[in-house]
Amino acid sequence: MSKELNYTAAFDELQQIVSDLEDGEISVDELSLKIKRASELIKICKKKLVTTEEDVNQILKELEG
Amino acid sequence: MNEQRQVFSLRQVVSSIRKTIEERYQSHYWVKAEMHKLNLYPSGHAFPELVQKEDGKIVAQVNGAIWNHNLQRINRQFMTVLKEPMKEGTTLLLQVKVSFSEIYGISLQILDIDPSYTLGELQRERQETLLRLQKEGLINKNQQLEFPLLPQRIAVISADTSKGLSDFMKVLNQNQFGYAFFTHLFFAYLQGDAAIDSIRKQLNAIERVRHHFDIVVIVRGGGGEVGLSCYNNYGLCKAIAECSLPVLTGIGHSTNLTVAEMVAYRNAITPTELGEYLLQVVHEFSVPVERAAEQIRRSSRTILERTDTAFSQTVKQLKGNVQNSLLTHHNKWQVLSRKLNSRSELSIQRQHERLGFLQKNLAAFAKRFHTEKALYLHDAELFLKQNSLRIVQKKNEEISQVERQIQLLDPKNVLKRGYSIVRIGGKTVNGSVAPGKGEHLEITTYDYRISATVDEVKTTNND
Repeated sequence: MSKELNYTAAFDELQQIVSDLEDGEISVDELSLKIKRASELIKICKKKLVTTEEDVNQILKELEG
Repeated sequence: MNEQRQVFSLRQVVSSIRKTIEERYQSHYWVKAEMHKLNLYPSGHAFPELVQKEDGKIVAQVNGAIWNHNLQRINRQFMTVLKEPMKEGTTLLLQVKVSFSEIYGISLQILDIDPSYTLGELQRERQETLLRLQKEGLINKNQQLEFPLLPQRIAVISADTSKGLSDFMKVLNQNQFGYAFFTHLFFAYLQGDAAIDSIRKQLNAIERVRHHFDIVVIVRGGGGEVGLSCYNNYGLCKAIAECSLPVLTGIGHSTNLTVAEMVAYRNAITPTELGEYLLQVVHEFSVPVERAAEQIRRSSRTILERTDTAFSQTVKQLKGNVQNSLLTHHNKWQVLSRKLNSRSELSIQRQHERLGFLQKNLAAFAKRFHTEKALYLHDAELFLKQNSLRIVQKKNEEISQVERQIQLLDPKNVLKRGYSIVRIGGKTVNGSVAPGKGEHLEITTYDYRISATVDEVKTTNND
């Protein structure tokens, strides 16, 4: 799992952007920034679905220790 | 003491006991006892230890014996009724015959075991486990955990030979969406008494590496519906309830739910169904993401359209305003220009009038000025004529007087009156040129020029 942004945080942020947009509280100036961020978040979320980064050897090492 | 002794051989005694017992215990009896250990021999016969406990202490104990053919029949009955083999450590209802062997001593020959009684016992155990977990507030403990948004990292408690495990893995690994799952197998026995400690041990192990996982699953299948009573064991159910990760079960059966399945976060009937459930959860995550993307597209379009409309309106307004403003200014300008025209005409006319007036005045003024100056010139001419002769006469008289004064001052006139001029070497003798004795003098008079020599010099007193 990415330490930078876990999927819960990414998804929550995405939802926030959606509700901001729906409330119409976003100006055209902010709009492109928000959309850029949203597409990053969507990318992060989608990537989470198709990857896991667990290392079996690490788990075995921790089980022995 | 020669008392007559009757001596028996051991065999006589033991045979007597056997006879007595056989006479006394001729029928079969139903006995409730705990089978402590089965002690199955390779011959297929079993010699279980039968005990009765009170408060955990053994208060009665006797050996039992089950002949091979009885044991097989009893096991078949158990599997039919209980879906469980006979278990050590449980209380059974036994049909026994008291038997005594000269060599092995007393034992209870077990002819039959009532599976219904054991079933009741198992149900009682299940009930006890349930009640105890309820009392301890553990029944819903695992279910109260927060379920991860994406249960992708899975600690699998199963046996590598289990058909259930391969079913489960197949569902996860062959999903059409390409969702990734990470699984790690924690090997455990899945049925019978061995499963209890085995599964608990692995739950402990998972707890140590829990940060690598989102959920725990216990999958079992392909073994038929036997040996499941271990899932009603209090210790095992408690361990599942207290696991810090959600535990999901798919232990493959269709009869009564075991307590383990009841305390688990979620129970699926089969491992396949469990795998499909997890797939569904992950898929459901992708749906809101897609929906969010769609909502963002829609909302931004709305915002842009709204802004565009507002912009067009403003432009239209601006255009109108500008036109109005231009029109107003144009009108003002026309008014001003008309005003300017009329004013300047008026002004020019006035200046023209003033010029005409001045022109007229100027001629009159020039005429008057000319007359005045001519008059003045005439007077001046007259005055000059009258005075110039008188001035010339006066000046002549002044000049004559000066002439007379000049004639009086001429040295000749002085000499004529008897004065003379004495010179030494051409220089007039006065204060600065003093005559010395014997020096040559030139003396000039009006009529003569005399040379003389100085005899004596005396200074005059000129006071």
